[in-house]
Amino acid sequence: MLEDATPEMSLLELLDRLNDQLCEQGEEPIAFESDCREGVCGACGVTVNGTPHGPVPNTPSCRQHLRAFGGITKLRIEPLRSAAFPVVRDLVVDRSALDRVIRAGGHVDVMAGTAPDADDMLIGHADAEVALDFAACIGCGACVAACPNGAAHLFAGAKLAHLAMLPHGKVERTRRARAVVETLDEFGPCSSYGECVEVCPAGLPLTAVAAVHREGLRAIFKGK
Amino acid sequence: MAVTGLLFVGFVVVHLFGNLKVFAGADAFDHYAAWLREVGYPLLPKQSVLWALRIVLGLSVLAHIGAAVTLWWRARKARGRHRRRLGGAESQLAGFMLPGGLVIALFILFHLSDLTIGGPGASASFRHPDPNVHAYANLVASFSRPLVACFYSASMLLLAAHIFHGWRTLLQDFGATGARLRRVWVILGGLIALAVVAGNASIPLLVLAGVIS
Ligand code: HEM
Ligand code: FES
Repeated sequence: MLEDATPEMSLLELLDRLNDQLCEQGEEPIAFESDCREGVCGACGVTVNGTPHGPVPNTPSCRQHLRAFGGITKLRIEPLRSAAFPVVRDLVVDRSALDRVIRAGGHVDVMAGTAPDADDMLIGHADAEVALDFAACIGCGACVAACPNGAAHLFAGAKLAHLAMLPHGKVERTRRARAVVETLDEFGPCSSYGECVEVCPAGLPLTAVAAVHREGLRAIFKGK
Repeated sequence: MAVTGLLFVGFVVVHLFGNLKVFAGADAFDHYAAWLREVGYPLLPKQSVLWALRIVLGLSVLAHIGAAVTLWWRARKARGRHRRRLGGAESQLAGFMLPGGLVIALFILFHLSDLTIGGPGASASFRHPDPNVHAYANLVASFSRPLVACFYSASMLLLAAHIFHGWRTLLQDFGATGARLRRVWVILGGLIALAVVAGNASIPLLVLAGVIS
C-alpha cells in the first residue's frame, strides 16, 4: 500500500517509491528491470493487471503514467509471462530467447568494404520509411507476453521485414529467413489474435507476422 | 492448415451456390443433385467425381483437425501456466476457432447423416436416390423440425465467424504484406462470411416459416 503516489509518477517511479518504503521498513526491495526510462531501450517490462507493460496501449512500462490509468488504483504487478521467459527474480525475467532470434539473423554480417559515397546505393524514401518503421522494435518482449499462444512472430517479423528491404540486409535474406524461422520453434504459433499489436511500444503492425511467412516461404522456394 | 482451410472456403462457396438452387424450386434442386452424381460422365464413371471430392474433403478435414490440435498443444506449451484475458473482437474470434471448429465438425457429421446417408437424426420420411433423387423433399422434411432448423442456422453463424477469422489468418500464413491487398482481402472475407450466413441459414428458417415447402 502506497499512500503518497502522485499522478505524475510513472509505473517504475511507483515501484521506486515502493522500494524506498520497503527499505525504510528494513525489507528487501522488489527487483525489476529498467534503463533509459524514456521508451527507447526495451529493458523495462512488467505485467499490470494482466496486461504487459500496463493499461496504456502501445506504451512501455517506463512511460506508463498513473495519470493515464483512468482511476485504477489497485495494481497487480507481475513479471512478463511466457514459458520462453523464465522468472529470474521478482519482476525480472530472462529474455535471452529473444537474443537467440537476433543472433540467428537479426543483424547484418557482410563485407561492406570501405565507406561508399553517400549516393552510391539509392534507397527510395518510401522503402526507407517502411524499413525504419519495422526497425522501431525495442525488443522488450511484450508481444510474446501478450500472446495467448506465446508467439514471437511480431518481433521476428519486424527484423525480417526491416532487413529484407535494405541493400546490405538483402545479401543474406534467404539464410537469415531460414535461421530466424528455426529459432521461432522455441515460441508458440501465431493464430492472429492481434494482442501483440495492442501492447507493442513501437506500434508495429500485424503485417510483421505476414513478413515471417513471406520470408520463410521465399526461402523454401529459393532452394539451397 | 492454411491450404486445407482455403480448400474448405472454396467448397463452402460452391456448396452455397448449389444450396441456393432451393429457391429455384424442387425440380431445379433435384436436377442439380442428380447432376452432382454424374458430373464427368460419360468420360468418367458416374459418381467418380463425387467420390473424388468426398475423399479429398474427408482427408482435408482430418488434416485440418490434426493441425488444429497440434497448434493448440504447441500454443499451450509456449504460453506456460498463465491464462490470457482476450481483448477485442478479433482476439475473441481467434480464441473461438477451436471450440467453434469442433462444433462445425459435429455439424458436418450430423449433416451427412441427416441429408446424405439417412442415418441417425434423419427425418422419418428420408428417401435414398432410387434412382430418382429426393434431395428437395428430404431437405424440407428435415428442416420442418424446429430444433434441427435452428441447429443448422446456428451452425452457419459459427461457420461464418470461423471463415471470417480464418480468411484473415490466410493473409498471414501466405505472407501477404501489401497494404492494399490486406485491406481488400479482409473485406472479401467479410463478404464471403456474410454470404454464407445469409444464403445458407435462411433456408432452414424459410422452411420453418413455410415459405419453402
Ligand atoms: C471440421 C472442423 C473444423 C475444425 C476443428 C477447425 C479448426 C480450426 C482451427 C482451430 C483453426 C485455427 C488455427 C490457428 O491458427 O490457431 C482453423 C483455421 C482455419 N479454418 Fe478451420 N476448422 C474446421 C472446419 C473448417 C471449415 C469447414 C472451414 C471453411 C469453410 C475452415 C476454414 C479455416 C480457415 C480458412 C482457417 C485459417 C487457416 C490458416 O491458419 O491460415 N475450417 N480451423
Ligand atoms: S526503460 Fe528503456 S524502454 Fe523502458
